[in-house]
Amino acid sequence: MAEERSRDYLAARVLTEGQPVTYRLLSRAIKVDVNTAKWMLFDFHKQQNAKKSNTVHATYLITGKKRSEDDESKHTNGVNGRDGDDTNMRSSPFMSSMPEPEEDSDESDEEPVKQTTILLVREEQLQETRAEFDEESSIHIYSLEPGPIENLSILATCNYEVATGYADEDPMERWKTYGSIHNPHIKRRTRKFGPPPAASTSKAAAKPATKPAAKPSAATQSKAKETAAPARRGSASEDNASGRSTPRSSAGTSTLKRADSKSGAKKSQTAGDLFKSFAKSKPKAKDADRSQESTPAPVEDEPMQGMSEDEGDVEDEPDVKVDEEKKEAARQARDARQEKLRKMMEDDDEDMPDAPTDGESQPEPTPAASADISEPAETETVTVENGRRRGRRRVMKKKKVKDEDGYLVTKEEAVWESFSEDEPQPKRLKPAPTKAASSAKGKPAGKKGQGSIASFFKKA
Amino acid sequence: MAVANGNLLKEASNAALAPIRNESNYDPLRTFELPKGADKHYSQQFADMYFLRLSELKKHVMEKAHEAWDEFELGGEKAHFVERVLDVRQGQLCWVVGTVYMELPEKPNVLADITKEHDIVAPPPRETYISSSTTDDMMLEDESGRLRVTGEPVHAHYVTGCVLAALGTEQADGTFQVIATQYADLPEQPKRWERQDAALEEAGEEIPKRGPAGKLAIVSGLDITGSDDKDLYLDLLVEYLTGEATGPPDQASASHITRLIIAGDSLQRGAPILSREEFAEHKQNSRHYGYDATVYDPSPAQRLDTLLSDILPTLPITLIPGVSDPANVALPQQPLHPALFLKSLVYSERPADGIDTIHGLDMVTNPWDGDIEGYRVLGTGGQAVADLLKYVKNVRPTEVMEMMLRWRCVAPTAPDTLWCYPFQDDDPLLVKECPHLYVAGCQKKFGKKVIEGPEGQKCLVVSVPRFSVSRQVVLVDLESWEVETVRIGVVGK
Repeated sequence: MAEERSRDYLAARVLTEGQPVTYRLLSRAIKVDVNTAKWMLFDFHKQQNAKKSNTVHATYLITGKKRSEDDESKHTNGVNGRDGDDTNMRSSPFMSSMPEPEEDSDESDEEPVKQTTILLVREEQLQETRAEFDEESSIHIYSLEPGPIENLSILATCNYEVATGYADEDPMERWKTYGSIHNPHIKRRTRKFGPPPAASTSKAAAKPATKPAAKPSAATQSKAKETAAPARRGSASEDNASGRSTPRSSAGTSTLKRADSKSGAKKSQTAGDLFKSFAKSKPKAKDADRSQESTPAPVEDEPMQGMSEDEGDVEDEPDVKVDEEKKEAARQARDARQEKLRKMMEDDDEDMPDAPTDGESQPEPTPAASADISEPAETETVTVENGRRRGRRRVMKKKKVKDEDGYLVTKEEAVWESFSEDEPQPKRLKPAPTKAASSAKGKPAGKKGQGSIASFFKKA
Repeated sequence: MAVANGNLLKEASNAALAPIRNESNYDPLRTFELPKGADKHYSQQFADMYFLRLSELKKHVMEKAHEAWDEFELGGEKAHFVERVLDVRQGQLCWVVGTVYMELPEKPNVLADITKEHDIVAPPPRETYISSSTTDDMMLEDESGRLRVTGEPVHAHYVTGCVLAALGTEQADGTFQVIATQYADLPEQPKRWERQDAALEEAGEEIPKRGPAGKLAIVSGLDITGSDDKDLYLDLLVEYLTGEATGPPDQASASHITRLIIAGDSLQRGAPILSREEFAEHKQNSRHYGYDATVYDPSPAQRLDTLLSDILPTLPITLIPGVSDPANVALPQQPLHPALFLKSLVYSERPADGIDTIHGLDMVTNPWDGDIEGYRVLGTGGQAVADLLKYVKNVRPTEVMEMMLRWRCVAPTAPDTLWCYPFQDDDPLLVKECPHLYVAGCQKKFGKKVIEGPEGQKCLVVSVPRFSVSRQVVLVDLESWEVETVRIGVVGK
C-alpha cells in the first residue's frame, strides 16, 4: 500500500539517512497525489513523535490572510482616502497632468487590496505565526527533517531532487499522478530535431555520470543508512543518484528515443557512444565493436527496468532492497566498462591525437588525457556529456577553481593541451589509479555541465 | 468535506480531484517587433522621432485645447492658437503646441560621455535627474524652435518628450508664462473581443460562447542569480502556481489563474552592457580583446529555464524581457532568444513557423501588447516608468503610468534618457489604442489604479514589484477586475 511505502520511505530517509523530505519529493518518490503526500507527512510526524518526542521535526506551510498586513494596508488606505478626489480634479481642464508632489493618492479610490500570504514556518514558530493570521485558508506540513534546520533554504535541495530525479516523466501527465493543476490546453511539442539541446542533455546525463563516481564510496560506506550522520552531505548525493535512476530507467524503456537523448541508464549508452567516436578515429574497428558488444547496457538496464516500471514489484519490496539490486547492477556495469576502458587506453594511445579533429568527439580527449588521474571511466563519460556543448569547457575552468570539492587541481585544461603530442601520458596514469581520485574528479567534471546548481547541491 | 477544508493536519479523506485550469484566450499583437536583420537600421536621426511624435499627437492635443480654451478669456482678451512656438508675440494671450524638453543638470549627456570616451559602457546610474541646487530649465519645442517656459502648471508635471498645449503669454524676458496646459488624454479604447470578433467575422465563423475569464498572474523581477539562497522562494512560487503547495481551497483558487506574465528582469545580470565598475574591472583582468567566454555563467539561465519548464505544463506564460535580461538594451526590447530556454522551448511554437504561441511559453517584446480574454493588455518591463520617475519627485509609479497613457506615449523620455530604436515612419511607442490593463514590472512597490478617460475609457494600471524583494505575485481577475496579491514568505529565515 502507498501508506506503507510512504512510511518506509520516510523512515529510511528521515530517520536513517537524516535527510529532509518535502511533500513534493514524497509524492514523486511513491507516486501519490501531493495532498495525500502532505497527509502522509503529517501522519508520520504524529506517529514518530508519539513514539518518541522530537524525533522528527516539521515545517509547515500556512496560507491565509495575515492580520498585521491587512491592518497596514487599511492604514495606508485610510491616509489615501483623504485625497481621493484627485481623479476628478485631473479631468478638469486646467489641472496639470502630474499629480501634486507629496500626494499619496495612489490607491486612493480603491478598496484595500486583498493579500494572501503563503508562509513557510518551522515547527517552533508555528503557534505564534498561526496567531498572526486572521484567516487561515489552508495549512499543511511542507517538510519533515530529523531535527530543527537552521536554514530553510536547505529544503530547496529536495526540489532540486524532484527537478532532476524525476525529470524524465512526462510533464503533461503530472497532474494525473501528483494532482497539480491540469491544463488541457497546453501543447507540448515533441522534439524532432536530432541532438537534443545541450543543456537538458548534459543536465540529465551528467547526473548518471556522477552516479558511478559516487558509487565506490557508497559501496564502501555500504549505505549511508548505516552510518547516517557523519556522511550526511555525501550520502545525500548518493541517495539522489540512486533514487534518480529509478524513474529514468523507466523512461528509457518506454520511449527509446528519449532514452537516447536524455537518460539514466544511459550512462552505459553514452559510454557506448563514446567508444564509438573513439573508434571512428581509429583504423581498426575491432575495439569499437568490442566496446559496443560489451557495453554493459543490458546488465544495467534490465534490473532497473524491472524495478521502476511496474509498481507492483516496488510495492512488494522495501525500497532498500531495490537500491541494493540497482547498485549491484551499476557496479557490474561500471567494472566492465572500466576494464574495457583500460584496455582501450592501452591500445589507443597512438590514435588519440586524431580524436580532436573529429568535431563530435573533440572533448573526449580531455578525459583521456587528463589522465594523470586514473580510471578514465568516470571522467570520460562525464566529459563526453560536457563535450557536447563545445566551448563551455572554458567556463568550467573558472568554476573549478571556486569549487571546494576534490578538484582544486585544474588539470583538465593543462593536460588537454599538452596531450596532443604526449602519448605516453595515458599510460602513466594506470599505475596511479586511486579510486578516490577518480571519483572525486569525475564528479566535478559532471558538475560542470550543470553549472552551479550542482555545486549548490553539494554544499547544501 | 476535504474539498472545502484546507487543513491537512488531520486524517486524510479522499484526495480531491486535481482542479482544472481554464483556457487562456490569448491573442498577442506584434506592435513592437522590429524588422529583422539587415532591415534594422541605426543610421537614422533620433530627431525624426520627435517630429513624428509631435505630428501624430498634435491633432489630438489641439482638439483638447480647442475644447478647453476656445471660450477662454482673460481680461477681455481671447486666447488664440499660434501655429509655431517661435511665432509667439510678447504680451499676447495665446496657446501653442510643442514637445517638452527638460534641461536637467544631472541628466546623462551623451556628448559629454563621448568626449570622455565613455561610449562603450552604461552611463552611471542615477537615482534622479533633478538637482536641488540649480533650477531646471524647461522648454517647449516644435519644428521651428524652442521656447523657454515657466509657470506653476508645467513644473514637475511634464517630462522630456511629452507633447502638450500650453496657454499663456510671453514675458518681457522672452520666457513663456504658462497658465494652463492640455494633453492628449486617453486614446480610443477597443471594445472587449473587438479584434477577435472581427477576425471571426472575416473568417465567416460564429462567435463562440466564451466562458468566464480567469485570473492573470503577474510576476516581475525574479532576479535569478543561479545561487541557492533564493531557490526556496522560487520553488514556493512554482508550487503555488502549479497548485501543489497549499490546501484544496487555495489550490482551487490558484487554478483560476489562466496565464502568467513575467514582466522583466528574470535574470539578475544578463544585460549585455557592462556598468562602469564592471567595465573597469573587466579591462584590468582581461588580456583579450572582445568577448571573454570564461566569464559567462550559464547557471542563472538554466535555473530560469527549469523554473519555466516546471510551470509550463499547467500554466501558459508570457515572458517580457527587462533591463537586466539578455535582450537588446534599446526599447523596444526584442524577445529573449529561444536558445536560452532549451527545456521550456517544447512548449512554444517553433520560431521558424512564425505563428503565435497561444498555449505555452510566449517570448515577447518589451513593451508588449496583446489581447488576453478579449481585453487589451499592455505590459512593460518597467524601465520607461523607472526613467520617468527620475524626472520627478514624490510620484508613484501608477501615476507615472497613468500619465504615460494620457500623454499617449509609453516611453516619453526615449530617446533622450532611455535607449530606443530610431523609429522613422511609425512610432509604436505611441499609444494608439487605450489598453484595458497596463502593467509595468520591476517597480519598488505594488500599486494599482483605475483611470478613466473622457469617452468612458477605463484602464487598470498596475505596478508590479520585484519578486526578489517583495515576494509578491499580483493577480488580476479579468472578470471582476479585482486585484489581489499573493505574498510568499519564509519565517525566520
